Amino acid sequence: MNKKLKSYDDMNLLELDVMKEISSIGTSHAATSLSKLLQKEVRISIPEVNVLGYDETVSRIGEIEELVTATLVQMSNEVNGLMLFIFKLDLANVVLEKLIGKKYDSFDQMDELAYSALEEIGNIIICSYVNAFTQLVGVEIDLSVPSSTLNMLGGILTVPMAEYGYESDKLMYINAEFIMDGRKLSDGLLMLPDINSLNSILEKLGVL
Amino acid sequence: MAERDIKVGIGDMKFTRGTGTVITYALGSCIGITLYDPAIKLGGLLHIMLPTRTDPGDTKVFKYADSGIHEMIRKLSAFGMVKSRTIVKIAGGAKMFDIKGNTDFGNIGQRNAAMVKKILMEEKMRISAEDTGGAYARTMLLNVATGEVLIRTVGKPEKRL
Repeated sequence: MNKKLKSYDDMNLLELDVMKEISSIGTSHAATSLSKLLQKEVRISIPEVNVLGYDETVSRIGEIEELVTATLVQMSNEVNGLMLFIFKLDLANVVLEKLIGKKYDSFDQMDELAYSALEEIGNIIICSYVNAFTQLVGVEIDLSVPSSTLNMLGGILTVPMAEYGYESDKLMYINAEFIMDGRKLSDGLLMLPDINSLNSILEKLGVL
Repeated sequence: MAERDIKVGIGDMKFTRGTGTVITYALGSCIGITLYDPAIKLGGLLHIMLPTRTDPGDTKVFKYADSGIHEMIRKLSAFGMVKSRTIVKIAGGAKMFDIKGNTDFGNIGQRNAAMVKKILMEEKMRISAEDTGGAYARTMLLNVATGEVLIRTVGKPEKRL
Protein backbone atom coordinates (compact mmCIF):
# COMPACT_ATOMS: atom_id res chain seq x y z
CA MET A 1 0.00 0.00 0.00
CA ASN A 2 2.84 2.34 0.55
CA LYS A 3 5.83 2.99 -1.60
CA LYS A 4 9.22 2.11 -0.25
CA LEU A 5 12.19 4.33 -0.76
CA LYS A 6 15.15 2.65 -2.39
CA SER A 7 17.60 5.47 -1.92
CA TYR A 8 17.95 8.84 -0.17
CA ASP A 9 17.34 10.27 -3.62
CA ASP A 10 13.77 9.04 -3.66
CA MET A 11 12.68 11.38 -0.90
CA ASN A 12 10.17 13.90 -2.19
CA LEU A 13 9.88 17.50 -1.04
CA LEU A 14 7.44 16.68 1.74
CA GLU A 15 9.65 13.93 3.11
CA LEU A 16 12.72 16.14 2.92
CA ASP A 17 10.79 18.85 4.69
CA VAL A 18 9.95 16.48 7.49
CA MET A 19 13.60 15.48 7.82
CA LYS A 20 14.50 19.14 7.91
CA GLU A 21 11.97 19.81 10.63
CA ILE A 22 13.32 16.99 12.78
CA SER A 23 16.89 18.05 12.09
CA SER A 24 16.08 21.54 13.17
CA ILE A 25 14.94 20.27 16.55
CA GLY A 26 17.88 17.88 16.73
CA THR A 27 20.44 20.57 16.00
CA SER A 28 18.90 22.98 18.48
CA HIS A 29 19.25 20.33 21.16
CA ALA A 30 22.86 19.89 20.08
CA ALA A 31 23.40 23.65 20.29
CA THR A 32 21.90 23.74 23.79
CA SER A 33 24.27 21.02 24.97
CA LEU A 34 27.19 22.82 23.42
CA SER A 35 26.12 26.07 25.00
CA LYS A 36 25.86 24.49 28.47
CA LEU A 37 29.23 22.88 28.11
CA LEU A 38 30.98 26.01 26.92
CA GLN A 39 29.00 28.40 29.13
CA LYS A 40 28.49 30.50 26.10
CA GLU A 41 25.64 31.62 23.90
CA VAL A 42 25.30 29.36 20.90
CA ARG A 43 22.74 30.15 18.26
CA ILE A 44 21.97 28.11 15.22
CA SER A 45 20.54 28.75 11.81
CA ILE A 46 17.72 26.63 10.42
CA PRO A 47 19.49 23.60 9.03
CA GLU A 48 19.35 22.54 5.45
CA VAL A 49 19.04 18.87 4.74
CA ASN A 50 20.79 17.95 1.55
CA VAL A 51 20.98 14.65 -0.20
CA LEU A 52 24.21 14.89 -2.13
CA GLY A 53 26.73 12.78 -3.99
CA TYR A 54 30.20 12.28 -2.61
CA ASP A 55 31.92 15.07 -4.56
CA GLU A 56 29.25 17.62 -3.70
CA THR A 57 29.30 16.73 -0.01
CA VAL A 58 33.07 17.17 0.07
CA SER A 59 32.91 20.54 -1.63
CA ARG A 60 30.10 21.79 0.64
CA ILE A 61 32.13 20.99 3.73
CA GLY A 62 35.62 21.90 2.55
CA GLU A 63 38.58 20.74 0.48
CA ILE A 64 39.09 17.08 -0.34
CA GLU A 65 42.59 16.92 1.18
CA GLU A 66 41.77 19.26 4.05
CA LEU A 67 42.71 17.94 7.46
CA VAL A 68 39.70 17.63 9.75
CA THR A 69 38.74 15.62 12.80
CA ALA A 70 35.64 13.52 12.75
CA THR A 71 33.68 11.60 15.34
CA LEU A 72 31.65 8.65 14.26
CA VAL A 73 28.92 6.86 16.19
CA GLN A 74 27.05 3.83 15.03
CA MET A 75 23.28 3.60 15.52
CA SER A 76 21.51 0.33 16.11
CA ASN A 77 18.19 -1.06 17.39
CA GLU A 78 15.17 0.44 15.57
CA VAL A 79 17.31 2.69 13.43
CA ASN A 80 20.54 1.38 11.98
CA GLY A 81 23.10 3.66 10.51
CA LEU A 82 25.88 6.11 11.19
CA MET A 83 26.20 9.57 12.63
CA LEU A 84 29.26 11.56 11.67
CA PHE A 85 30.32 14.91 13.03
CA ILE A 86 33.13 16.76 11.30
CA PHE A 87 35.13 19.49 13.00
CA LYS A 88 36.78 22.05 10.81
CA LEU A 89 39.59 24.03 12.36
CA ASP A 90 37.62 27.24 13.05
CA LEU A 91 34.85 25.51 15.00
CA ALA A 92 37.38 23.29 16.78
CA ASN A 93 39.35 26.35 17.91
CA VAL A 94 36.34 28.17 19.34
CA VAL A 95 35.46 25.08 21.33
CA LEU A 96 39.01 24.32 22.48
CA GLU A 97 39.76 27.89 23.46
CA LYS A 98 36.83 27.87 25.84
CA LEU A 99 37.36 24.34 27.07
CA ILE A 100 41.11 24.04 27.52
CA GLY A 101 42.23 27.59 26.85
CA LYS A 102 44.29 26.83 23.78
CA LYS A 103 44.14 27.58 20.08
CA TYR A 104 45.94 25.76 17.31
CA ASP A 105 47.19 26.77 13.90
CA SER A 106 46.53 23.36 12.49
CA PHE A 107 45.19 20.00 13.52
CA ASP A 108 48.68 18.44 13.40
CA GLN A 109 49.76 20.43 16.41
CA MET A 110 46.99 19.19 18.63
CA ASP A 111 47.89 17.01 21.57
CA GLU A 112 45.99 14.09 23.00
CA LEU A 113 44.01 16.33 25.34
CA ALA A 114 42.68 18.58 22.58
CA TYR A 115 41.93 15.62 20.42
CA SER A 116 39.95 13.77 23.06
CA ALA A 117 38.11 16.98 23.98
CA LEU A 118 36.96 17.23 20.38
CA GLU A 119 35.93 13.60 20.35
CA GLU A 120 33.84 14.18 23.44
CA ILE A 121 32.19 17.30 22.02
CA GLY A 122 31.45 15.50 18.78
CA ASN A 123 29.90 12.70 20.79
CA ILE A 124 27.80 15.11 22.85
CA ILE A 125 26.52 16.86 19.74
CA ILE A 126 25.63 13.55 18.13
CA CYS A 127 23.98 12.16 21.27
CA SER A 128 21.83 15.21 21.90
CA TYR A 129 20.81 15.22 18.26
CA VAL A 130 19.87 11.56 18.37
CA ASN A 131 18.07 11.91 21.71
CA ALA A 132 15.85 14.64 20.35
CA PHE A 133 15.30 12.52 17.28
CA THR A 134 14.23 9.40 19.20
CA GLN A 135 11.77 11.34 21.32
CA LEU A 136 10.25 13.02 18.35
CA VAL A 137 9.96 10.02 16.10
CA GLY A 138 9.24 7.53 18.85
CA VAL A 139 11.98 5.05 18.05
CA GLU A 140 14.62 3.42 20.18
CA ILE A 141 18.17 4.04 19.04
CA ASP A 142 21.26 2.59 20.70
CA LEU A 143 24.55 4.37 20.16
CA SER A 144 28.00 2.87 20.06
CA VAL A 145 30.98 4.40 21.80
CA PRO A 146 32.42 7.18 19.66
CA SER A 147 35.39 6.69 17.39
CA SER A 148 37.48 9.55 16.09
CA THR A 149 39.98 10.19 13.40
CA LEU A 150 42.20 13.01 12.21
CA ASN A 151 42.32 12.66 8.49
CA MET A 152 41.68 14.07 5.04
CA LEU A 153 38.04 15.12 4.64
CA GLY A 154 37.68 13.14 1.44
CA GLY A 155 38.93 9.97 3.08
CA ILE A 156 36.57 10.32 6.01
CA LEU A 157 33.55 10.69 3.76
CA THR A 158 34.41 7.51 1.90
CA VAL A 159 33.57 5.59 5.08
CA PRO A 160 29.79 6.08 4.91
CA MET A 161 29.97 5.90 1.12
CA ALA A 162 31.51 2.44 1.31
CA GLU A 163 29.37 1.31 4.25
CA TYR A 164 26.17 1.95 2.28
CA GLY A 165 27.69 1.69 -1.16
CA TYR A 166 25.47 -1.20 -2.09
CA GLU A 167 22.36 0.83 -1.27
CA SER A 168 23.03 4.35 -2.34
CA ASP A 169 25.59 6.71 -3.80
CA LYS A 170 24.31 9.60 -1.73
CA LEU A 171 24.91 11.09 1.68
CA MET A 172 22.50 13.05 3.84
CA TYR A 173 24.22 16.19 5.04
CA ILE A 174 22.58 18.30 7.71
CA ASN A 175 24.06 21.71 7.36
CA ALA A 176 23.43 24.16 10.18
CA GLU A 177 25.49 27.11 11.19
CA PHE A 178 26.48 27.56 14.81
CA ILE A 179 26.75 31.21 15.68
CA MET A 180 29.18 31.91 18.51
CA ASP A 181 30.85 35.22 19.37
CA GLY A 182 29.12 36.70 16.37
CA ARG A 183 30.92 34.27 14.09
CA LYS A 184 29.18 31.83 11.85
CA LEU A 185 30.75 28.41 12.10
CA SER A 186 29.66 25.70 9.82
CA ASP A 187 29.11 22.28 11.26
CA GLY A 188 29.45 19.03 9.42
CA LEU A 189 26.80 16.71 10.71
CA LEU A 190 25.83 13.72 8.68
CA MET A 191 22.98 11.44 9.61
CA LEU A 192 23.02 8.25 7.65
CA PRO A 193 20.28 5.78 8.45
CA ASP A 194 20.24 2.72 6.23
CA ILE A 195 17.38 2.59 3.75
CA ASN A 196 15.15 0.30 5.81
CA SER A 197 15.51 2.61 8.75
CA LEU A 198 14.80 5.70 6.67
CA ASN A 199 11.61 4.04 5.49
CA SER A 200 10.53 3.18 9.00
CA ILE A 201 11.32 6.71 10.23
CA LEU A 202 9.18 8.26 7.54
CA GLU A 203 6.45 5.71 8.12
CA LYS A 204 6.37 6.46 11.84
CA LEU A 205 6.03 10.11 11.03
CA GLY A 206 3.15 9.30 8.73
CA VAL A 207 4.55 10.82 5.58
CA LEU A 208 5.32 7.67 3.67
CA MET B 1 55.09 19.31 -15.44
CA ALA B 2 51.65 19.28 -13.95
CA GLU B 3 50.04 21.04 -16.88
CA ARG B 4 47.77 18.10 -17.51
CA ASP B 5 46.31 16.68 -14.32
CA ILE B 6 43.52 14.25 -14.88
CA LYS B 7 41.37 13.81 -11.82
CA VAL B 8 39.84 10.45 -11.06
CA GLY B 9 36.71 10.56 -8.90
CA ILE B 10 35.40 7.90 -6.57
CA GLY B 11 34.34 4.80 -8.48
CA ASP B 12 35.95 5.97 -11.68
CA MET B 13 38.91 5.23 -13.97
CA LYS B 14 40.94 7.51 -16.21
CA PHE B 15 43.95 6.86 -18.40
CA THR B 16 46.25 8.78 -20.67
CA ARG B 17 49.28 8.33 -22.83
CA GLY B 18 52.63 10.06 -23.27
CA THR B 19 52.44 12.97 -20.85
CA GLY B 20 50.36 14.15 -17.92
CA THR B 21 49.37 12.92 -14.51
CA VAL B 22 46.39 10.92 -13.35
CA ILE B 23 45.51 11.64 -9.76
CA THR B 24 42.94 10.54 -7.21
CA TYR B 25 42.45 12.32 -3.89
CA ALA B 26 41.93 11.05 -0.38
CA LEU B 27 41.60 7.31 -0.77
CA GLY B 28 40.15 6.10 2.52
CA SER B 29 38.90 2.55 2.58
CA CYS B 30 38.85 2.75 -1.22
CA ILE B 31 41.71 1.43 -3.31
CA GLY B 32 43.61 3.09 -6.11
CA ILE B 33 45.09 0.79 -8.74
CA THR B 34 47.54 2.02 -11.35
CA LEU B 35 48.42 0.11 -14.49
CA TYR B 36 51.37 1.39 -16.49
CA ASP B 37 52.81 0.03 -19.68
CA PRO B 38 56.26 1.69 -19.97
CA ALA B 39 56.85 0.63 -23.58
CA ILE B 40 54.07 2.84 -24.88
CA LYS B 41 53.80 5.18 -21.86
CA LEU B 42 50.18 4.27 -21.32
CA GLY B 43 48.92 4.60 -17.78
CA GLY B 44 45.60 4.46 -15.98
CA LEU B 45 44.31 4.89 -12.47
CA LEU B 46 41.23 3.16 -11.08
CA HIS B 47 39.52 4.18 -7.83
CA ILE B 48 37.29 1.40 -6.49
CA MET B 49 35.06 1.61 -3.46
CA LEU B 50 33.65 -1.88 -2.87
CA PRO B 51 34.85 -5.45 -3.46
CA THR B 52 32.20 -7.05 -5.67
CA ARG B 53 29.50 -6.04 -8.05
CA THR B 54 26.47 -7.96 -6.81
CA ASP B 55 23.94 -6.64 -9.30
CA PRO B 56 24.99 -7.47 -12.86
CA GLY B 57 22.72 -4.70 -14.11
CA ASP B 58 24.69 -2.07 -12.21
CA THR B 59 26.35 0.13 -14.81
CA LYS B 60 28.85 1.69 -12.41
CA VAL B 61 31.53 -0.87 -13.22
CA PHE B 62 34.42 1.15 -11.78
CA LYS B 63 32.84 1.29 -8.33
CA TYR B 64 33.74 -2.36 -7.68
CA ALA B 65 37.07 -4.17 -7.57
CA ASP B 66 36.01 -7.13 -9.67
CA SER B 67 34.18 -5.42 -12.52
CA GLY B 68 36.44 -2.36 -12.32
CA ILE B 69 39.73 -4.18 -12.79
CA HIS B 70 38.38 -6.36 -15.61
CA GLU B 71 36.99 -3.34 -17.43
CA MET B 72 40.17 -1.33 -16.92
CA ILE B 73 42.31 -4.11 -18.35
CA ARG B 74 39.94 -4.50 -21.29
CA LYS B 75 40.00 -0.77 -22.04
CA LEU B 76 43.74 -0.30 -21.71
CA SER B 77 44.41 -3.42 -23.75
CA ALA B 78 42.30 -1.92 -26.52
CA PHE B 79 44.73 1.00 -26.47
CA GLY B 80 47.73 -1.27 -26.81
CA MET B 81 48.61 -2.24 -23.25
CA VAL B 82 50.40 -5.57 -23.01
CA LYS B 83 49.74 -7.30 -19.69
CA SER B 84 53.12 -8.99 -19.38
CA ARG B 85 55.03 -5.72 -19.34
CA THR B 86 52.52 -3.70 -17.34
CA ILE B 87 53.49 -2.42 -13.90
CA VAL B 88 50.75 -2.67 -11.28
CA LYS B 89 50.69 -0.65 -8.05
CA ILE B 90 47.98 -0.33 -5.43
CA ALA B 91 47.29 1.99 -2.49
CA GLY B 92 44.53 2.65 0.03
CA GLY B 93 42.32 0.24 1.94
CA ALA B 94 42.69 2.04 5.25
CA LYS B 95 40.58 1.51 8.33
CA MET B 96 39.48 5.02 9.14
CA PHE B 97 37.43 4.39 12.27
CA ASP B 98 37.72 1.79 14.96
CA ILE B 99 34.55 1.09 16.90
CA LYS B 100 35.23 -0.70 20.16
CA GLY B 101 33.32 -3.93 20.47
CA ASN B 102 32.47 -4.00 16.78
CA THR B 103 35.41 -5.42 14.92
CA ASP B 104 33.44 -5.93 11.72
CA PHE B 105 32.87 -2.25 11.22
CA GLY B 106 35.25 -0.53 8.87
CA ASN B 107 36.81 -3.73 7.58
CA ILE B 108 35.79 -2.73 4.10
CA GLY B 109 39.31 -1.48 3.35
CA GLN B 110 40.78 -4.85 4.14
CA ARG B 111 38.13 -6.64 2.10
CA ASN B 112 38.75 -4.30 -0.80
CA ALA B 113 42.48 -5.00 -0.70
CA ALA B 114 41.92 -8.75 -0.58
CA MET B 115 39.57 -8.65 -3.55
CA VAL B 116 41.86 -6.41 -5.61
CA LYS B 117 44.74 -8.88 -5.06
CA LYS B 118 42.57 -11.85 -5.89
CA ILE B 119 41.34 -10.34 -9.16
CA LEU B 120 44.84 -9.25 -10.18
CA MET B 121 46.13 -12.74 -9.49
CA GLU B 122 43.36 -14.24 -11.62
CA GLU B 123 44.37 -11.82 -14.35
CA LYS B 124 47.96 -13.01 -13.87
CA MET B 125 49.20 -9.53 -13.08
CA ARG B 126 51.81 -9.13 -10.37
CA ILE B 127 51.61 -6.20 -7.96
CA SER B 128 55.04 -4.57 -7.95
CA ALA B 129 54.41 -2.17 -5.07
CA GLU B 130 51.67 -1.47 -2.58
CA ASP B 131 50.84 0.87 0.26
CA THR B 132 47.69 -0.44 1.90
CA GLY B 133 46.13 -0.63 5.34
CA GLY B 134 46.82 1.76 8.19
CA ALA B 135 44.38 4.33 9.42
CA TYR B 136 44.99 7.30 7.15
CA ALA B 137 43.79 8.63 3.81
CA ARG B 138 46.10 8.72 0.80
CA THR B 139 46.28 10.71 -2.39
CA MET B 140 47.72 8.68 -5.26
CA LEU B 141 49.12 9.96 -8.52
CA LEU B 142 50.72 8.43 -11.56
CA ASN B 143 53.02 10.38 -13.84
CA VAL B 144 52.45 8.90 -17.25
CA ALA B 145 55.65 10.31 -18.76
CA THR B 146 57.88 8.58 -16.20
CA GLY B 147 55.68 5.87 -14.71
CA GLU B 148 56.38 7.24 -11.28
CA VAL B 149 53.67 6.68 -8.63
CA LEU B 150 53.52 9.02 -5.64
CA ILE B 151 51.55 8.70 -2.42
CA ARG B 152 50.66 11.74 -0.38
CA THR B 153 49.47 11.45 3.21
CA VAL B 154 48.93 13.94 5.98
CA GLY B 155 51.94 14.63 8.15
CA LYS B 156 54.35 12.44 6.21
CA PRO B 157 56.69 13.17 3.32
CA GLU B 158 55.53 12.24 -0.16
CA LYS B 159 56.35 8.63 -0.80
CA ARG B 160 57.46 7.06 -4.05
CA LEU B 161 55.81 3.72 -4.60
